[in-house]
Amino acid sequence: MSEQPDAPITNPEGEGQGHGLMTPMVPSEYVGRHQADVDGRRRVHPLTPLIHGLRIIPIVLLIGFSTANSFAKTGDARFLGGVVVIAVVLIAPITGLQYIAWKRLSYFFDSAGDLRIDSGVLQRHERRIQLSRLQAIDVVQPLAARLVGMAEVRIEVAGSTSKATLQFLTVGEATALRSEILARAAGVRHDAGEAPENVLVHVPAGDLVLSLALQAHVWFFLVVTVLLVVVTVLNSGPAGLTLLLVAGGAPIFIVFSEFSKFFGFTLAESPDGLRLRHGLLQTAAQTVPPGRVQAVGFYEPLLWRRRGWVRVKINVAGVKSSDQGSGDRAYTESVLLPVAPWPVAIAVVSRILPGVDLQALEWQSAPRRARWRCPWQWRCLAVAVNDSVFAVRGGWLERRTCLVPHARTQSLRVTQGPYQRALGLASVHVDSTPGPVRITGHCRDANDARELAEAQSDRARLARGAAPPARWLR
Amino acid sequence: MTQHVFRPPDEPWTPVSPRMASARRVSLVIAMTPFLIAVVVLASVDIPRWVPLTLLGFTIVVGIWAWWLIGRRVRSFGYAERADDLLVTSGIMFRRLVIVPYGRMQLVDVVSGPVDRKFGVATVQLHTAAATTDATIPGLLPQDAAALRDRLAARGEERTAGL
Repeated sequence: MSEQPDAPITNPEGEGQGHGLMTPMVPSEYVGRHQADVDGRRRVHPLTPLIHGLRIIPIVLLIGFSTANSFAKTGDARFLGGVVVIAVVLIAPITGLQYIAWKRLSYFFDSAGDLRIDSGVLQRHERRIQLSRLQAIDVVQPLAARLVGMAEVRIEVAGSTSKATLQFLTVGEATALRSEILARAAGVRHDAGEAPENVLVHVPAGDLVLSLALQAHVWFFLVVTVLLVVVTVLNSGPAGLTLLLVAGGAPIFIVFSEFSKFFGFTLAESPDGLRLRHGLLQTAAQTVPPGRVQAVGFYEPLLWRRRGWVRVKINVAGVKSSDQGSGDRAYTESVLLPVAPWPVAIAVVSRILPGVDLQALEWQSAPRRARWRCPWQWRCLAVAVNDSVFAVRGGWLERRTCLVPHARTQSLRVTQGPYQRALGLASVHVDSTPGPVRITGHCRDANDARELAEAQSDRARLARGAAPPARWLR
Repeated sequence: MTQHVFRPPDEPWTPVSPRMASARRVSLVIAMTPFLIAVVVLASVDIPRWVPLTLLGFTIVVGIWAWWLIGRRVRSFGYAERADDLLVTSGIMFRRLVIVPYGRMQLVDVVSGPVDRKFGVATVQLHTAAATTDATIPGLLPQDAAALRDRLAARGEERTAGL
């Protein structure tokens, strides 16, 4: 449970600003712990503009560092003054613009129980978030916001191209808003409060560090860095080491950012759905409501196999992973477990997809002649089907096992290239929503491939008929 | 055998209009024009004769090959409306068969570019929640395309199953 949120922000003059035609109908009991102004509109925290301004402090620091050298040489205090001036000149206009944006932003729950966000300075943007299509909800604390105890709420709905984001609320307000949205989406009373949770897995920092060190791409970066060191020192002598600080920094940064992303990874289960919490500098708490997981993939890099470790990724409808601006951030959202022993991963997945017994799957290997088409991974290639899921296996250095529940099958494809045709092979694809998990049964016997697809189509149809409703607690 | 895999014989396959071949061939000629212009330009400047001739030969060979391939590709397209799903098949070198359940269709588009409009053909595109679905039926007569879209939309409505 969260503490009482900060004092409410009411803004009487905010009403007459042309908020559009929709008058929110908010009966008094709907105004829960968040107090709102007269017509039920709520606002984000008044410190928001300042946090946006603070975000550019790293740039200011960079300028500061680059001038520090000359400051140390001359001892001229004007350099320090200059940095302060630059900081003010940069921060003030951002804060000012964000202040106007803050004044024009409000959110409320309309009469149909959907969340509405009105925003925009020059161009008004009225967004309606249909809670019955809610796919995931995150409470994220970027570093700047975290320093002052603020958080942002990101809401993901199916069929939407972008996330709805509310910046910034106090952490208490953000978690309260999250539980309210989840409760409304589930169809229970919205003031039911935060649902209790049950921690399933916590990833120890030591395991995380070791698992990152055992990934092939980390070694690749290390080799590249060492080569860079050798080449620069040979070519330009020790003076080249300055350049190295930048060049060598990149791989370290990549590894560190992965560490910082997954630091303190905790997976918990609650009636609201799965809760994923992680992050060192920027912390994120993601909630995926039940039944939103579209597909699950287990990934096992070469060096993890001796330790029996596996990474689990999921496809969640609406959470784009490939075409969203920053690939890294999108990745986090689709990682269910950054590293875990196989038994733990299987136990977690069997809670998400009840009735899936991975050990009991009967794998049908690809025919032997598949080795001419997939010389490295043909031994591992296999598909399996049981009452609830379709599963594929493959990979050579990094083995993968991906599964999709029958009820989540979107469409099916059978494909065949010229080389495959010569070998009498074909691939079967089960299409899932966009995400890291691809379900492709490579190199099946061509005759079996269509039967497999047709049979999967029938299973999917039967499973869809029995699918649970969208509002899961009603 | 492949025929059996990608075009199951017991389904009511509908072919696409041969007019699409003409439309595609016009697009091909348009795409080839820059190469022909390049041949003319190269022939008029002072470089060895074999350079424009090679390019010309290359352009002609590729053009003839593509001209022939277009005819085969258009004939390879087909769709079949079954009780619960739509089948789309296509391809000569890279064959595919797509099975889209009506209950999974989220959006049915009819699109028609300028060349397609000239020849009176349209393309029906099906979208599901998966980005990889790729069920496109080109080369339909506009009235057939509209009718197919309406039929698919109606069936989708009946069987829609959320995500």
